[in-house]
Amino acid sequence: MNEKYIKFIFLVPCIVYLLALGIFPLIYNVYLSAHWIELTAGPEAVRFAGFENYVKLSQDWRFWDTLRNTFLFVVSAVGLELLIGFGLALILNREMRGGKFFRVLFLMPMMSTPVAVGYMFRMILNPQWGAMNHFLSLAGIPPVRWLDDPAISLFSIVLIDAWEWTPFMFLALLAGLQALPVDPYEAAIIDGASKTQVFRHVTLPLLSPVIVVACLIRSIDAFKIFDVIYVTTAGGPGTSSETVTMYAQTIGMRYLSLGYASTLAFTLLISVVVVALIFINKMRKQRG
Amino acid sequence: MTKSRRITDIFAWIILIVASLVVLFPIWWTVTTSFKMPRDIATWPPPYVPFLNFEPTLSAWESIFGAPGQLSGGGHAGSMIYRVVTNSLIIAVSSSALAITIGSLAAYSLARFEFRRWKNNDIAFWILSNRMFPPVAMVIPFFIFFKMLNMLDTLPAIILVHTAFSLPFVVWMMREFFLDMPKEIEESAMIDGCSVFGVLRRVVLPLAAPSLAAVAVFCFIFSWNELLFALFLTFNQAQTLPMLIAGETHTGSPLWWLISAVSTVAIIPPIVFAVLVQKYIVRGLTLGAVKG
Repeated sequence: MNEKYIKFIFLVPCIVYLLALGIFPLIYNVYLSAHWIELTAGPEAVRFAGFENYVKLSQDWRFWDTLRNTFLFVVSAVGLELLIGFGLALILNREMRGGKFFRVLFLMPMMSTPVAVGYMFRMILNPQWGAMNHFLSLAGIPPVRWLDDPAISLFSIVLIDAWEWTPFMFLALLAGLQALPVDPYEAAIIDGASKTQVFRHVTLPLLSPVIVVACLIRSIDAFKIFDVIYVTTAGGPGTSSETVTMYAQTIGMRYLSLGYASTLAFTLLISVVVVALIFINKMRKQRG
Repeated sequence: MTKSRRITDIFAWIILIVASLVVLFPIWWTVTTSFKMPRDIATWPPPYVPFLNFEPTLSAWESIFGAPGQLSGGGHAGSMIYRVVTNSLIIAVSSSALAITIGSLAAYSLARFEFRRWKNNDIAFWILSNRMFPPVAMVIPFFIFFKMLNMLDTLPAIILVHTAFSLPFVVWMMREFFLDMPKEIEESAMIDGCSVFGVLRRVVLPLAAPSLAAVAVFCFIFSWNELLFALFLTFNQAQTLPMLIAGETHTGSPLWWLISAVSTVAIIPPIVFAVLVQKYIVRGLTLGAVKG
């Protein structure tokens, strides 16, 4: 068979699949967001709504709350993970016995089923008998209502996410550090640079592509957080830890308002696409 | 110099051990809780060590794996676990297999042949961008399609959706692997009279097998852990393991010991698989941007 046909025979099934089950649902989602669909009102309750859902959205304080929560969550979770992960990578970037063993150990949180993780932390953060409050009490700190206090619940979700994903930052940055060339360091030491100077002027600039890529990938994923919140706080108390995905799921599944749920989902799509485009541009530049 | 070296070494070890304890503790707590009696759950101080702080029992494990078909000892989890684990396995294995088949052929095509109208790189990046979309922006259309097709709560519906989600990842990663593979062996096999399919089967497949396995493991873990699609598209017959756990925690007073046992069942396969492919993990998680 001719090479000219072979390459298309190999590629086309994948493209068709993605168009049918990736792009088409997205377009259909936009179409749905211009409709009024209430499954609770019977199967006939569908009509064209134009921009009604978007007008409703702009006046929906709960939506603005969830959007703020989502951004707050992404920024603080990714920031915290970068901080701890980078610190660990710098300290542990050395020959250590059993390195491979610990590497495997650090993979465990990211691979664990997120609903199971959420549930683990529901026990650990339990205000009456959770281990977290037990540890705090040993240090003389009074018990905290981690998941039931509206002022703290979103922060608790950030902590859970940090447990799950700090290892990702750590392993990515460690791999990045170990791939750095040696020459610039030797040159800096010959020039008599101090440790902090070497870090600021050699390590940081050389590592920045890896840092940026790791943060972007993590942010894209963090925007979609759902599982952990669903089993820990379910967005509560009130709406204090509700994210856009969580809100859209509630509107879609509990109230069966599919049109409005699609509108909510669309706003999340926009946020993610902006970050994703930055990421893809970075990758393209890297590949030349 | 050597003395300060030794001090920083000790410091690094302390940090490493503390970090490992933080990583292990929640898993330890969950696994041990699955061996607790109900009365050992809500005690203060929390019992951490079996035999020392509490008397371990197999009762939670017996009630989730009790005789299939009969509801055993006080839990919705009882006896459902068989069906749910089977569902999760079928879905994860089928969607990975489907994604690997369609995806690696596309990846091979993008790595070895030249496309002109749209450049290979453009196609590859377009495929990758499919990976980024938030599931919530697709799940309502999926719900409506499968409702129209009368496929809600069936395994094929979930398999198709999970495949769509794994596919971009497979294409992207396998293309990288194929690009790293020397082209010359395939070319000489071609000259020896092998057809394209012969080359694929006899030369490319054996060489790519380890990376194919690693990528398949990623697809498996994604599908095994996934909740949102399952929540919208299944409710009874096609329920997955994450859904069983999520459903249990939403009851008024959760049966902690039972959920702990089910959670332990859920996290074993992904962790075992992650250990098997740990060499590829950083590369996979950073979409090839960092070669760990």
